[in-house]
Amino acid sequence: MLKISHLEFTHKDAKHSYTYTMNLEEKEIVGILGESGSGKSTFLDLVAGFSTSSSGSIELDTQVLTQMSVEKRPITILFQSHNLFEHLTVQKNVLLGVSKVLKENIEDVNKVQGILKEVGLEEYEHTQVSKLSGGQQQRVALARVLIRREPILLLDEPFSGLDIATRLEMLDLVQTITIENKIHTIMVTHDIEDCKRIANHVYKMQNNTLVEQ
Amino acid sequence: MFKNYQRIKFSLLPGTLISLTLLTFAFVLFYTLYTSQENLVFTQIEPRVWLLLKFTVYQAFLSTLFSLVVGMLLAWSLAHQAKFRGRSWLVALFSSSLVLPTLIVVFGLITVLGRNGWVNQVSLYLFDYSFGAYLYGLGGILVAHVYLNASFASRSLLHSFESIPKEKYKLAKSLNFTTFQRFMYVEWPVLKPTLLSIASTIFLLCFTSFAIVLVLGGSPAYNTLEVAIYEAVKLDFDIAMALKLALIQLGLTTLLVVFSANFRTHISNLKTATQAIAWEEKREVKYLQRGIIFLFTLFFILPLFAIVVDGLGADFSKILQEKLFIKSFFTSMGLATLSSIITLLFAILLSDAKRNLSLRYRLEDLPFSKLFNIVLSFSGNLYLAIPSLIMGLGFFLLSQRYEAPLALWSTVALLTANVLMSLPFAQSVLAPAMQRTAQRYDRLVFSLNLTKIQRWVYVEYPYLKSSLGYVFALAFCFSLGDLGMIALFGSDEFSTLPWYLYQLMGSYRSSDASGVALILLVITLSAFIFLPKLFGGNHVKD
Repeated sequence: MLKISHLEFTHKDAKHSYTYTMNLEEKEIVGILGESGSGKSTFLDLVAGFSTSSSGSIELDTQVLTQMSVEKRPITILFQSHNLFEHLTVQKNVLLGVSKVLKENIEDVNKVQGILKEVGLEEYEHTQVSKLSGGQQQRVALARVLIRREPILLLDEPFSGLDIATRLEMLDLVQTITIENKIHTIMVTHDIEDCKRIANHVYKMQNNTLVEQ
Repeated sequence: MFKNYQRIKFSLLPGTLISLTLLTFAFVLFYTLYTSQENLVFTQIEPRVWLLLKFTVYQAFLSTLFSLVVGMLLAWSLAHQAKFRGRSWLVALFSSSLVLPTLIVVFGLITVLGRNGWVNQVSLYLFDYSFGAYLYGLGGILVAHVYLNASFASRSLLHSFESIPKEKYKLAKSLNFTTFQRFMYVEWPVLKPTLLSIASTIFLLCFTSFAIVLVLGGSPAYNTLEVAIYEAVKLDFDIAMALKLALIQLGLTTLLVVFSANFRTHISNLKTATQAIAWEEKREVKYLQRGIIFLFTLFFILPLFAIVVDGLGADFSKILQEKLFIKSFFTSMGLATLSSIITLLFAILLSDAKRNLSLRYRLEDLPFSKLFNIVLSFSGNLYLAIPSLIMGLGFFLLSQRYEAPLALWSTVALLTANVLMSLPFAQSVLAPAMQRTAQRYDRLVFSLNLTKIQRWVYVEYPYLKSSLGYVFALAFCFSLGDLGMIALFGSDEFSTLPWYLYQLMGSYRSSDASGVALILLVITLSAFIFLPKLFGGNHVKD
């Protein structure tokens, strides 16, 4: 279980202070709604470790994540854009999830091929990602999520730039990945329809506090 | 819409006329150079010319390499150390290297690193050892080129670092990248295109560098083509040799300009991003970055500080009463004012014509619009192919053919050189800004049927005033500090501040030279900081 208790963040100007509390089982998806600037993305930054909370805790089962550095947290994050290295091929972008030196180890390459098949991109293995469509690029990013097999997945409005059909397809893919890989997924979105489609729980930022709907 | 089409078509005219004038000027210059000597033999290039050519390329190559390495390290350090106090001032100071008169830089470097400079004096005092006159020769040329160009490169590269989306850094951090991997996968792909264009610009600037080589070259072994042309005209009166060298240089610079094709200097004004990159550096990397910033700041500030310290000891009551100083001061200010006004006007009209030809709903569908656009760009970048000494030689030959007072020829020659020198920079700032304004407001302006004047008052000026002010200040400072054309036309009757300073340095009047150097430095930096404010401060935010 992912347990986030009274996580508090105060802005430098000290005018805004946010509080977040939520529990999430594996294979579950939480949707977070809220106005622009309401503190949704700040929450993801705190969970990922890009920002530091003034109090509260984040625990995954028995593991305490609150004081861990970004790179040590068992988390994968997906943004609306800039999830990939455009000058590299699909294969290398996915490979970066497990190997930083990009040496083509047969075992890893086979793993990448298998995962690309899962996300329907097997024929694009050696294509430069800048040549893919927006939907295909997000599939590559999801393929990297799969290869990393981290138990927490954070999604920061990752599909809001896509057309409706592709967007629904991607949401379903996220749901499948979450269930099959026993992941805890937190999805920040503007669109309540996204939540209705795949979220097990919906939270909303109200008066600087995360509240379950 | 038809009315607007006609209006836009008509607005091509001023830009086209300017472009034609510039190209005709280049043709007349080239023709004058080519036809002025009947017995010009090109089949044979003497060993001396080969040596000149070899050294010119060699020093330009090394200067470019070192400037890029230093500039890259500095930009990398500044990008990742975004929180220290005074950072924005430091970045603004490094940006000023673009407008610092080269002679001032040389003067400051000699004061710090010269035979009797601060470094040697401290070393003699502490260790009883002097490094000697290492500043004269290739070493000095490289140090001065790196001083000017590394800071210029760092400013442009910092802009590239800051354009990297913060999500990319977050992604890299979550993937546990090392500092090196972060550089290779996140930063290098963004820097590479900028680096190529900066490299070609720096190489061209160093290839045609004049004042630095003239003063620090020391001996003929360290002469470049540009200095050899000057010596052939001014010292040896060997016009045939000067012409031969000029045509070789013209051929090479034209080739370089064509090869480097897109002269995009990525000049931006002094503002810098304040949002820090979400990446806490490891302690050793942090110390390395801070060390790099400290060392370069020391290297950059010491010569300027030396000018101030030495300059304050000068006898200003004597300097300010010297007739030649007063004459040089007013000539410099007058020329700088005129040439910055003309540069601004030319840059606006050329950029306006260019945007007309590159926007789909304007005149992009005109026949040959792309070719026309290239011609417009080329005419604005003429200076890169025809540096001021070659231009000066052309004017010198023209002045012998067509009699007129020398002061008139000198004024025309200096004005032309100053305007052409500033135009590439002016265009690289204004053209993209004007294009953006058109893309954003054309439809609205056309639908409201605003006149040209209304358009300028309500749309263009509010959005462009910061760029206009920056271009005006750049052109003013470039003109104020140039020692290229004046080196051929300078005399007791016609002198500018840099020429006067050069004369003082040559006649070993060090104290007076220090005073004049300080005056020139203060005027240049004040102009660079305060002239943009004449245009009304901050522009409307995008």
